Amino acid sequence: MTAASVIALAVLLLAVTVLALVLRPGRASTLEFYLAGRRVGVATNACAICGDYFSAASFLGVAAAVYVSGLDGIWYATGFAAGFVPVLLFVAAPLRRFGEFSIPDFLGRRLGSDRIRLIAVCVVQLIILSYLVPQAVGSGITWELLVGHGVLGLTPYATGVVLSTVAITALVVLGGMRGTTWTQAVQFLLLLSAFVWLTVVVIASGFSYPDAVAELDSEPLANPVVAGGEWGLATEPNRLESGSDATFGEPGGRYGPFGQLTLMVTLVMGTAGLPHIMNRYFTSPTGTAARMTTVWVLGFAGLFYTLAVLLGTASRSLIATSVEGRPWLADLTVDGVLRVPEHAPLVLGRIFGGEAGLGFIATGALIAVMSTIAGLLLAAAASWGHDVYERHINPRASQRQAVWAGRGAVIVVAVFSSALALGLRPDSLTALFPSIVATMVTWAFALAGSALAPVFILAIWWRKTTSRGAGAGMITGAVTAIGMFTSATVTGDEGVGEVLLAPTIVAAPVATLVTVVVSLRTPTPKDLDRLWLRLHGTAADRRAARLARLTIAGVNGDRS
Amino acid sequence: MFRANRWLARVRDVRDTGAPPPLNVDGPTWAVDIGDDYDMPADVDASFRTVRKVAVGHFAVFLGVVVGVPVLTLTVDWWSGGRLVGGMSPSFVMAAFGLYVFFFALAVAAATLSNGVEERMLGAQEREPVDPGDDS
Repeated sequence: MTAASVIALAVLLLAVTVLALVLRPGRASTLEFYLAGRRVGVATNACAICGDYFSAASFLGVAAAVYVSGLDGIWYATGFAAGFVPVLLFVAAPLRRFGEFSIPDFLGRRLGSDRIRLIAVCVVQLIILSYLVPQAVGSGITWELLVGHGVLGLTPYATGVVLSTVAITALVVLGGMRGTTWTQAVQFLLLLSAFVWLTVVVIASGFSYPDAVAELDSEPLANPVVAGGEWGLATEPNRLESGSDATFGEPGGRYGPFGQLTLMVTLVMGTAGLPHIMNRYFTSPTGTAARMTTVWVLGFAGLFYTLAVLLGTASRSLIATSVEGRPWLADLTVDGVLRVPEHAPLVLGRIFGGEAGLGFIATGALIAVMSTIAGLLLAAAASWGHDVYERHINPRASQRQAVWAGRGAVIVVAVFSSALALGLRPDSLTALFPSIVATMVTWAFALAGSALAPVFILAIWWRKTTSRGAGAGMITGAVTAIGMFTSATVTGDEGVGEVLLAPTIVAAPVATLVTVVVSLRTPTPKDLDRLWLRLHGTAADRRAARLARLTIAGVNGDRS
Repeated sequence: MFRANRWLARVRDVRDTGAPPPLNVDGPTWAVDIGDDYDMPADVDASFRTVRKVAVGHFAVFLGVVVGVPVLTLTVDWWSGGRLVGGMSPSFVMAAFGLYVFFFALAVAAATLSNGVEERMLGAQEREPVDPGDDS
């Protein structure tokens, strides 16, 4: 790593630290610590949601999946973006209008049950952990390539995991939601600028996107595998046409007849159940602002993923022809194909921008990891600190005590997730999955889409949803999804394995059915009409808008 | 200045807690209007049903397109084998660009319609002048 890379990293960390310190909550209040006082504007919140959402799976994983599987790898990006359409249609506005602090808090209040709040906390923690571990893996991979050596006797991979976790934990503990919101918004703009820069230099070098697809399509798709202790290239079979080889630009490189659909359903449903994303909607000033925030997110997501797919294609096309004369690249590749596909954007950065270019893209990757870890840790803090500590352990806790409980939860969850990430070796799993980071994130989506999203949407749109129905639905969805994953280790990833690895297409309908059947047999909350007014009425929105107008009028009047 | 700051602090408290302000505020007289925002259950029910129709309708279109792409892959050879630009098939163009444009357009349409429905169907009583003689 050169001085330029070190300076870039140091400046970044310093900038986000300063932001978190400057914007840290001034008052020891849970509303400030978890929700930034519910005053985050549409554009800022959209950028912060993107910073939260575009994790290592988006920054490294999408390009990696396209690099390995061609057209079939694009479906990760499509699914990640598509997930915000149901959020906009069914969740954003009513969720914000109802208020509260977190998904478990929302379900507990809407369904009038403390038990459902605790069940939701368990599910939320499982989702957060499933999402945190691949982020830590992504930071380990990036550090390994960027720096190449560890500190304090740790391996480079372990150093990346530990340093990124420690840095972002400190920022979250200091900055709370307000500091995190602004750092995430800035981090998203940096992420986007990293992709835009790389795209511009790649295209300026003469790269033609359509011609590259045509060229890659002219030969079978082959990826590195270890056979008999030796690395070699193996041709990917076409899973849609048995007996033929897969190619880059045509379907069949990764999925059989059902794989694409099951992945899409998993990613689309999963987004509506991601606790760190849904919690961001509580920071909007109104329901309408939450809805419009989602429109902005979809615009940003379209731009970001279009570039990610282009860079995955460019990596496949350009890295193979760049090995000659670059000994460092020869060490990372087998016959011109990367052993760890997540290295694709990083290697492309080094080819076109030298060490500084690698530093810039690696910084982007670390930013992606850090901003998502920040959001997940805050969601974990809200869940443990607010939903468990404040509601159950110490209902008389002062605001200061509650905030410190949240900070403690951040540290515990961070330590646990990094310990799990340290136990994984990504290169040993590359042969099993197209992109280990994207695949692991898919598990989090599957759990969210199977256990939380169906119950969540029913609680918003179906008056007869009850706490017992929701509890039964959540448990059924979680058990079904986890059971199907586990079964996939036996069946492999073909045939029925495609459904087992992305189980939401089965688990979500089952969870919905159980929720409906049990709800119809149990009583609804007593004050349902009042809850319904709060969920679907706009009086609070109008009041907030009127307050904003009065505030502006008051400030202007004061100035005059 | 002091008076304005005190008033702003009160406005912030109202916004944070969601509670209406006391009626005997000693700030600007128009602050008492804040408590006038309310929804009638029948209006909310009607608005809820209309917004639900908008959401379900747009979701049906979304689902049709998202499911339609893999179905076309399995059933229409040209979809995967044809070439639109360079080596890009219609399937590739749709996955790499087209679907993002579609998602965004759908989101803009659904959000605009839902916001419009809520604006028209809720809060009508606040738009009606309280005093027929007052044309403000």
